[in-house]
This record gives sequence, C-alpha cells and structure tokens, in this order.
Amino acid sequence: MKTVKSFVLVAPLALIALAPAAAQEFSKELIEKGRYLATASDCVACHTNHDGGKPMAGGLPMASPVGTIMSTNITPSKEFGIGSYSEAQFSDAVRKGIRADGANLYPAMPYVSYSNMKDEDIHALYAYFMQGVEPVDEKAMETKLPFPMNIRASMIGWNMLFRPNETHKDDPTQSAEWNRGKYLAEGAAHCSTCHTPRGIFMQEQKSLNLTGGQVGPWYAPDITNDKVHGIGTWSQEDLVTYLKTGKLDNKAQAAGSMAEAISYSLQHLTDADLNAIATYVRSVPSTKAGETTGATRFDKGTADNDMAAFRGRDYADGLKGDHAGAQIFAANCASCHGYNAQGTKDGYYPSLFHNAATAGDNSINVISAILNGVDRHTEAGHVFMPPFGDQVNAVVQLNNVEVASLSNYLLAQYGNDKLKVTPEDVQVIREGGPKSNMIQLARIGLAGGAAAVAFLLAGFIWYRARRKKPSVLSE
Amino acid sequence: MVTKNSADVVIVGTGVVGVVIAEQLLDAGHSVLMIEAGPRVTRAEVVENWRNAPLGVKGDTSVAYPSRLWAPHPMGGEKPEDAYLQFTGPDAYDQTFIRYAGGSTWHWAGTSWRLTPEDMRLNSLYGVGRDWAFDYDTLEPYYVRTEHKLGICGPSDRSQQWPQTGDRSAPYPMPALPFSPGEVRFTEVVKTLGYNNIPVAQARNSGMPYDGRPACCANNNCVPVCPVAAKYDAETALHRLEKKGATLLVDSVVYKVETNAQNKIEAVHFYDQHKETHRITGKLFVLACNGLENPKLLLMSKDDRNPNGVANSSDQVGRNMMDHPARTFTVTTKDPFWSGVGPVVNSGIMETSQGAFRSEHAGAYFRYNNFARNRFVTFAALKKGLVGKALDDEIRRMAACTADIVAAHEILPDPNNRLTLSDKKDWLGLPKPSINYDVGDYVRKSWEAYSQPIGKQIAEAMGAVDIKISPKFNNSKHIMGGTIMGKDASNSVVDVDCRAHDHENLFIPGGGAMAAGACGNSTITMTALALKAGDAIVEQMRGA
Repeated sequence: MKTVKSFVLVAPLALIALAPAAAQEFSKELIEKGRYLATASDCVACHTNHDGGKPMAGGLPMASPVGTIMSTNITPSKEFGIGSYSEAQFSDAVRKGIRADGANLYPAMPYVSYSNMKDEDIHALYAYFMQGVEPVDEKAMETKLPFPMNIRASMIGWNMLFRPNETHKDDPTQSAEWNRGKYLAEGAAHCSTCHTPRGIFMQEQKSLNLTGGQVGPWYAPDITNDKVHGIGTWSQEDLVTYLKTGKLDNKAQAAGSMAEAISYSLQHLTDADLNAIATYVRSVPSTKAGETTGATRFDKGTADNDMAAFRGRDYADGLKGDHAGAQIFAANCASCHGYNAQGTKDGYYPSLFHNAATAGDNSINVISAILNGVDRHTEAGHVFMPPFGDQVNAVVQLNNVEVASLSNYLLAQYGNDKLKVTPEDVQVIREGGPKSNMIQLARIGLAGGAAAVAFLLAGFIWYRARRKKPSVLSE
Repeated sequence: MVTKNSADVVIVGTGVVGVVIAEQLLDAGHSVLMIEAGPRVTRAEVVENWRNAPLGVKGDTSVAYPSRLWAPHPMGGEKPEDAYLQFTGPDAYDQTFIRYAGGSTWHWAGTSWRLTPEDMRLNSLYGVGRDWAFDYDTLEPYYVRTEHKLGICGPSDRSQQWPQTGDRSAPYPMPALPFSPGEVRFTEVVKTLGYNNIPVAQARNSGMPYDGRPACCANNNCVPVCPVAAKYDAETALHRLEKKGATLLVDSVVYKVETNAQNKIEAVHFYDQHKETHRITGKLFVLACNGLENPKLLLMSKDDRNPNGVANSSDQVGRNMMDHPARTFTVTTKDPFWSGVGPVVNSGIMETSQGAFRSEHAGAYFRYNNFARNRFVTFAALKKGLVGKALDDEIRRMAACTADIVAAHEILPDPNNRLTLSDKKDWLGLPKPSINYDVGDYVRKSWEAYSQPIGKQIAEAMGAVDIKISPKFNNSKHIMGGTIMGKDASNSVVDVDCRAHDHENLFIPGGGAMAAGACGNSTITMTALALKAGDAIVEQMRGA
C-alpha cells in the first residue's frame, strides 16, 4: 500500500526548491485587503485547530467516512506551510485545486467556489498569506487515509466535469450590489458548498442551487427565495441581521457549520458586503417543485406543554409512558427554553416553536441540535447550548431512544408534526451524518477499477468533511 | 475474597475533592481508580425528583437524592433513632450531605469565600482556636487554581472582593453576577449602617459558558441542583475523568483501610450493593469521602498496629468537628424586596467576620438569602385560611415582603465535639456515626453580644414589621475538622499536604483538615487543599 500524502496544500519538502517565494514587499493596504478576503473565505475555520492551535497552522481534525482528515498548515512557513509558493502556485491551489508539486487537492478545500475569484483578489490573498500571517514552523498532523484514497490523479477527471474554470463576470442586467453579492456568495463565502444538494458524484447540482443539502450531522436548509421552503418571507434586513448575529428571533438560529461561518467569517464582513450577499441570495429562485402556499419553517407551532401527564409521578415512570418525550423535554430542555418552550424575551434562549430547527422539511437539525448543541461567537456574546450526545461535557448523555422520543415530542408539539424520528435516525446523526452508499460505492469501484473508487470517495469526503468538528469543548 | 482491581492511586469518594485530585493524577500519567459508595444518576433524574416532590417536603434538599440502602445519608423526616446520624450533646450536628457519584457539590450553593490571612492565625492574633499550619500566602495560589478549575465568578473591583487583606495574584475568571432587586435594596439599606454587602464569589458561569458548561440562566434552583450545570458540581467532571482513563466504581461502600507491616496502606475493602466484599490495592490512597465519612472509615479500620483507628495515633480523628452555626432572621417588611432573581446566594456582608473582638467571641457573616420566597410563604398563607384570589394575593405579597437574613458564625475546634462509632448499625451492618456537639460559648457569646444585635439592627433598617428568629443554631452543612491538620503529629491527623502523619501513602484532604473555618463556606478551601495535596501526591509518585 502506498503511503498517503497530506490531504491539502502542504508541498512535499523535496519540491520546495522549485517554487521560490516572491521576495517582494506587499503594501499594508494590499495585505489588509487580503486579510478581509481570507475572512470572507473563512480559511481560518478549517485551517486552525481551535483547541489551542495557532491561526492557519492547520491540524483541525475533520471526520469523514474514510478516516479523519487533518487540515494543513497554510502559514508562510517555508518548511511546513506555503511560504515557498509562488503567486501562480498559490492561485492554482486556491482556484484549481492543484498544489505546488502538481498533485491534485481533494475538494475538502472548496476550490470549486474559489475558482470564481478575480486575479486581483488572489493577489491580495497571496500578499496576506505571505506577509500578514505569522509563520508557524510546526508540522500539522498528517492525514492518513487508506487506499484507494491516495490516488490523487482521479481528481483530474472530476475537475474536468465539475470545476468551473471561469472567474466571476458581472451580469450587466443586474445591479453592482447584486453582482458583488453573487461574487462573494458563490465564491469566497462558498454558500453553495453546503446549501446546494449533491449529485451522484457528490458534485454540487447547480440546477438545484441553494435548495438545501446535508453537511455531516447538520442540514443546510433551502435558502432560495421560495416563500414556503426557502427564505422568501425574509426581508433584506432579516437576512443581514442573521448573517451578522447568527439568529433571527422567532425564526432561526445558526448552529453547526453555519455558526462557525458566522463566528469566524460573516459577522466580520462590512454591512455593504452583507447587504450585497443578501441582495443576491434573495434573488435566487427555487427550482424544486413543492407546495406554493402553507406555513414556512419559521412560523409553525405554538407555546404549550404536556406536564400534566407526568408531573408528580416518578421520573422513571414518566420515561416509560406515552409522554416520555414530554418528560425528557421537562427534565433537560425546559430549564432554559421554558416550560412552554417559549424561550426568553431577549432571544438568547430561542422558542422551540416558530423555529426552523423543529419545523424544517426533515428532522436532521432537531436531532443534531440535541446531540451537538450550539456554539456561536458573535459580537453580541457567546451563544452556547451544551450538547446532549456522548461528549464529556454533555449535561446529560441521552441515548438514541431518548433523543428520538424528545425529537418526536418537539416536532409534534412545536414544529413539523409530519416528521417521525427513529432511534436509528439518531444513531446516524450521532456518527456524524449518513454514511449512505459508501459500501455500495466501494463495490462499484472495485468492479470498475480503483481510480473510480477514489473518484467517488473523494467527492464524498468533500461532501462529508465540511468543517465537522467535535462540539466537545476542551478545558 | 479476591482483589478485584488495583491502580497507582485509589481515591475513595467522587466529590469535588476526589475529582480534582483524580484529574491532576491522570494528567500526570498515573492510573486512578475511584470508589463511590452511592449511585450514579443523571442530572435529568435529580431535577425531576425535585420537581415531582410535593411542596411540603421541599425543606429537605435530600428529597432529590434518595439514599440507597447500602449508602445511607441524612434524609429529612426520619425518626431520630432511625436516622443515619446519631447525636449526643447539647446541639445536634445535623448535617446534610449525599453519597452519590459527584458528591455534595450536587446541591451546594456555589458560594466561594476565601479565608482571610487573619482567619488562618486565630491563635497568634486572638489567643483562641488553632493557627493553620501555613499562612495565607501559601494557600493563595491554590485558591487561584480552584477559582479557575471550578469556574468561580467574582468582582474585579478590589473593594468588592474578599478578603480585603492579603494579596490576590489573579483575577476571577468571570465577572460577578448582578444583584436581584432584593439584594440591591438590601445593599442600600446596610450601607446606611456602614456595612458593605458584596457579591459572593461563586462557582457559577456568569454571562458566559465556561469549561464546556453553559451560562447561568437563573433558575434559582442551585440548591438542590443546577438543572443546566452552569454551577460547578463534581458530576460535571466524571465523564471527562473517565475519558482520561479513570475507573469509577459506584455502589461500592469502603468499610476498611488495610495497613501492612510497614504501617503503609496496602488496600481498601468495600461492600458492593449485594453485600459482597472486595479488596482494592494501590500504591497510594486518598480518602475523599467528606468530613464525617472519613473519620468514620478511619475509626472503623482499627487494627493491631493502629488500635485507635487508622491515622489516629494522635487520638484526634473524629474530634474538632466544626460547622458554621447559623441563626436566621425572617423579616417581614412594609415594602417589597423581591428575592429570587439569579442564584440562591449572591451577596453577603463578610467584614463582620473580622475584628479584635475575636479574642472574646466569634465573628459572623450576614447573608441575604436570595431564594425565591413563594415556596417558604405558601404554607403560612394557607394557614390563614385564604382561598382563591385572596390566597394568590397573599402568597404574592409575602413572596415580595419577606426575606431571610442569615448570620453564620465561626466556631472553634473543640476536641469534645467528636464523632465516634455508634452502637447502631446501618443496612450493611456498619456502625452509624455518632456526633457529640456543642456550638460553645464562643459562638453563644457572639450571638448574644454581637451578631443578634447587628441582625436586629439590619432588620429594622429594612423596615421590618415583624422579625422571627430561629430558636436555635442551625447547621450550615459545612463539615470541617474531623481529620485536623497540624505540624505536630501528637495533636493533629494530617500534615501540611493532608498526608496522614501515621501513613506516608495515605492522604485525607478536604474540609476535615481545616484547622479553622472562619465564617465563609468551606468548599473553596477544601478544594484548594485538595489541589495542594494533589501536587504533593504527584511529587511523591515521582519518587515512588
């Protein structure tokens, strides 16, 4: 079995000599522009181990069905980072997914989105990464993936099919703001990476742009302007508020990858850019067939409780009956969210009715919020819901049956009462999201050749690896 | 009997003291086995036990923690002859503690007053009690570590911190919590009398998550349980310790500490819940059961080499039992105060615990209890025969216009305040603890000449229309003194690191070691002693 090389950007040592770094001094303004674009691109979210690691020095473990992927050191360290990259090599890595030694990156790195970036912005990013980031002379832990994931050449075919090779071109029929918004949303901010569903090769299905997709244990919902399934009922101000704070009272809150995107990236963008992103996103129509009228995921459910069914009885008895979900809710959730799930007036503790997490088109986010909690840093403070999975800091480690009971209570009482959760569904989310057709893919791959397996799995990794990190906090 | 297990370090007890030592040792690479007498339960169960309990029994914190047959602990409403704790002497040492995995921090308020430098030199300065075996500056770094380990919030303004004497080498990791409406008013009232009501330093996440636990959301339910784990309790550490490699045995009642020919500890023996016995060996042993269970276990373990009990060549094991004898002023006021927003204890007057008068009588700490009042006033309203809206209105009025002011006193270590083994046996056949207790003249004199007058003065300044004073001293449930620390092995049980004078591989850290308890709650000092012992154990294991 061949030795597997590092997953993303780090150049093998032997090849560094071929790629001397630019010796020029970049202007402060250019470096600052690059810093802003790096923030917009959320590089730090994946390329930093947030459990005590140094910025951009890599080492963040990201779970995938074929093993743990470690992000790489992208500081300008000549030995361990990208300090020896030329601007052309840097550009190819960011926009084409080709690293300095010519090998292909796997699309855990969202170069498909970044491919729209303009040369001048790549130049600024390069200036920032060479001279605005502190070099860290530490080797990030290497990714060790088993065969056949080590066949990087398989990505050549994938790139031919699915990598756009064009930078952004303004649409003259649209406003400058819309064009700026599209450039950012489809590029640096890479919204579609999560919010667009994947096809059979795990490529973004552009025909279903922003209509929702699974991201590890979370679901990135439909954010088209569809008035029932999307966010068509949101005002411009609503969406900008959400991108800035991660919450919109009595509607939705960001958790999982979106909480990270807001914590590290979106809240730091200018109001003008957030408005531009909102302008563009609010113009994206849904191409999915569905009901055209009805309640949205933001306005289902009412304040209520089921306590009369069990209060005054023994806790163990309460767990046995038909009201187990209500009992689990009272014991674990009501202390913060209120006995009627009404939340608090300031919205720090959201109501569980009029809440996208309990009333979406699927139950993924209600299960994941219970198991993984919420962790979001914004200027307004640190929003933290503790997890109830098997983390060491879980307030209570609820089992699959309990999470299913609780989810079904929340869905029926406060959200989308058409959905039902089984303990098996909970187990899938507990393990980080669906493993779906991995085995089948591998079988097809073995029949069709190892390269095809790698091809499929690479796409799958990309899909699965999006910034999934443990929600357990370190001490 | 077979040896079921062994480890580098065996820790008996899973409360805060055992837990912080266990983590230090695990982080230093040692294997750790922890033995807990009682069960391991989920927070959900405890929370619902409490909510399901009828109002009339909620005066007893332990109602949320029913004791197991094999691990009895004090439960309210028991007949004295059936109770776990047996009492002799003029006062009852009527403590509340629980034998559950996580220990009694499950139901502490989180109050974390440090001792003052003067508290630790009582004999030198005032000619009473005992001096600690070391000074405040020695303990201070361990206080800082405790404040960061447990997540203790407190004020950054020096004039609002306690103690006022002695240096503080690091700020609190979190800011103080805001006062409730009643506390704001109380603070203004006592200011007119010249007293400074300051924020309690408390092990509670104020306005932010800490250590993977959420911010306090003001359930006002700290006692008997924080429903969201915003308050530190040792249960919150158990999963983390297990992930670091600790083995945790529950429902396992240690009844004997076994010594070997070198008079080192060789093993501990325990009963499981089926009355089967087991033996656990180790290189080093930590007794972290609490200030009552530790002396009981040491006395039960007497052998030929140690005829008075293990670690008891000084005959001080079980003696010097201390607490903070307390009297409560229930004040009915003309105007509303409103207690109950935020944590149950959130502020206090500490300066009244200090002064030259300590050569004559005890100091006292005055606390405005911030428990929501409705639970306490409902029965009084019912007794008035009110129904319907009139009842609701009266409960509302009394919830607003009554308040409890508690005066907690320091007590001197007295060898006659003594725990011995009772003739009465528990379910396993082990002797129940019997405690002889007298709060003493030092406390009584304070009450007569000092604390009662101050309390009445405060109540009147609050606009009291009625003052009811508890008829006797109540216990604060701060168990201290039974394995007292000292440099002289002839009159103390443990050395400056809480190591038994008699056994070099036995540590007995926690409240039992405290040579003086002053007026403030003891957990922060117990934990600081645990961390100090932990350092000593790590050092000792390095040489082992």
